[in-house]
Amino acid sequence: MKERLAYALAQMNELERAAEHPAPLHRIDARAQLITTASFLIIMLSVPLGQLSEIMLYFIFPLVVSAMGGNDYMAVARRSLVAVPFAAMIGIFNVVCNRETVMTVGSMAITRGWVEFLSILLRGVLSVQAVMLLIRSTGFYRLCRSMQRLGVPSVMATQLVMVYRYTYVLLEEALAMSRARSARGFGRRSYPVKMWGVMIGQLLMRAFERSRLVGRAMAARGFTGCMPSPIGDCRAWCRCDTLFCAAWIALLLTMRLWSPVERMFSLFNSIMQ
Amino acid sequence: MHMSDALVSPATAAAAGVAAATLLAVAVRQTGRDCRCDGEADGRCAHVVPMMGVMGAFVFAAQMINFSIPGTGSSGHIVGGVLLAAVLGAWPAFVTLSSVIILQCMLFADGGLMALGCNIVNMAALSCLLAYPLVYRPVVGDGMSRGRIIAASVLASVVSLELGAAAVVAETSLSSVAALPARDFLLFMLPIHLAIGIGEGVATAAVVITLHRYDPSLLVDCQRPVQPDSRRWRRGLAAAVAVALVVAASFSWLASSKPDGLEWSIGQVNGGEEIMPADGKPIYGIVADVQHATAVMPEYNTSFAGIIGCGVILAVVFGITRLCRPSRRRI
Repeated sequence: MKERLAYALAQMNELERAAEHPAPLHRIDARAQLITTASFLIIMLSVPLGQLSEIMLYFIFPLVVSAMGGNDYMAVARRSLVAVPFAAMIGIFNVVCNRETVMTVGSMAITRGWVEFLSILLRGVLSVQAVMLLIRSTGFYRLCRSMQRLGVPSVMATQLVMVYRYTYVLLEEALAMSRARSARGFGRRSYPVKMWGVMIGQLLMRAFERSRLVGRAMAARGFTGCMPSPIGDCRAWCRCDTLFCAAWIALLLTMRLWSPVERMFSLFNSIMQ
Repeated sequence: MHMSDALVSPATAAAAGVAAATLLAVAVRQTGRDCRCDGEADGRCAHVVPMMGVMGAFVFAAQMINFSIPGTGSSGHIVGGVLLAAVLGAWPAFVTLSSVIILQCMLFADGGLMALGCNIVNMAALSCLLAYPLVYRPVVGDGMSRGRIIAASVLASVVSLELGAAAVVAETSLSSVAALPARDFLLFMLPIHLAIGIGEGVATAAVVITLHRYDPSLLVDCQRPVQPDSRRWRRGLAAAVAVALVVAASFSWLASSKPDGLEWSIGQVNGGEEIMPADGKPIYGIVADVQHATAVMPEYNTSFAGIIGCGVILAVVFGITRLCRPSRRRI
């Protein structure tokens, strides 16, 4: 458990650092990135399950965005595989239920169920990649501020930032308790069941005490319970943000409405004939 | 229980998103009132925001730890809605758990961005706004003894997770993405979440008991004034109704289509499964007609009948208890 908590802390640190690298995407306003990602998800998820080739075309978005943000796409793709197990568990029933043959590859018949199964997996992976790239290019604090500027109530934005910040406080306390216990445990690795409730309760009380101190310190510096409206720490919307949003939404809508893959196939067939 | 974007259609996601946004707007309004009452420096109000932060971080960290469910080969993690509500109250807990779900989606890709509305409704709304006020609070009462805390935590956690699992099935079916029939999916989801609910209930009880022992002021239920007996009684009844409805809906799927013990015995004696009416005796036909006319659901749907039947029994019990209650002494 100790390793898992330390790994989670390291992962969160890495996400924050990734957003600070100089890259073309990081100069785009976080609101523009949020709107573009939401549009991508809506348009991509509206593609019917049977159109596997159309869904594959939407990999253009994460590929280009990760290049613009200076991210290693393969690392993002590897991490996005966390979405696969649950989607696969549900999607596998499509293979069992839909046995109608939709195409044949050589002598092998491919059923509608397999096409839908692959389609569900790709939708899961694509949506996770889009969200991962969004957070890696904006950072969590900037994203919360942009949500506040888009109309999310201040209490909610404050809560998001608070949970994120207090996660460090809590995990550090947990690691300290775990280290102290290991130092005094005479090599005993496991905790007795009775100890769990007490340990967790103690951890909460320690974290509460620390949060009270932090809360008082914040109140002494003018904090009234909610983050003030973002004025100083956010830049204004500029032309490149509009261009970024408009270009992506136009491209995605064209892909959705014009079905370029089908048209390419029909063109290819007509040329061959 | 986190739903992925791959399993929801844009229409379902939008509908759930509107429901979640409406609930969040109400919750934010309620919580905003609590946050602003910082006139009393040492009171609970002054600490609502830091406490929400710490509790959110706690649940966020706790959700990273999966525990395996024996016999199923799968694993689950706690939702934490009942624990949050026990410490913060229903509305602040709802805001906190929603923020945890958003964080998990953003940082760990656990649940999709489009499916956020579904996840907030399934996990936060059902546990904080339904299971806590309808099950946890009436069962835990004002005394908060050890046994009551354990019973309340386990019952509320089971109810919230079973309702959440049923909501996942409903949303997936409405989205028409998965080909798995809703009934089979429900049979698959409910037992797993029953096990997770019991595990979560025990974990919640352990933490609440520790907090109650060392610092009861941290629990919102310890600060509520003692309620008069009649209100407590009504809340207890509401809790019983909620638990009974969930149990009826969950387990009536398992109602066997095979003959019951009496039918089987008659079949053994008679050679058939049912006693057939004798020819020339019109009384059987008359009785059958009366029965058909008075039966509410002759060709009933098992689960719906379970809920209705449960409601009727509870209404009868409620009526009897109202009739038999001792008369109040007039001064």
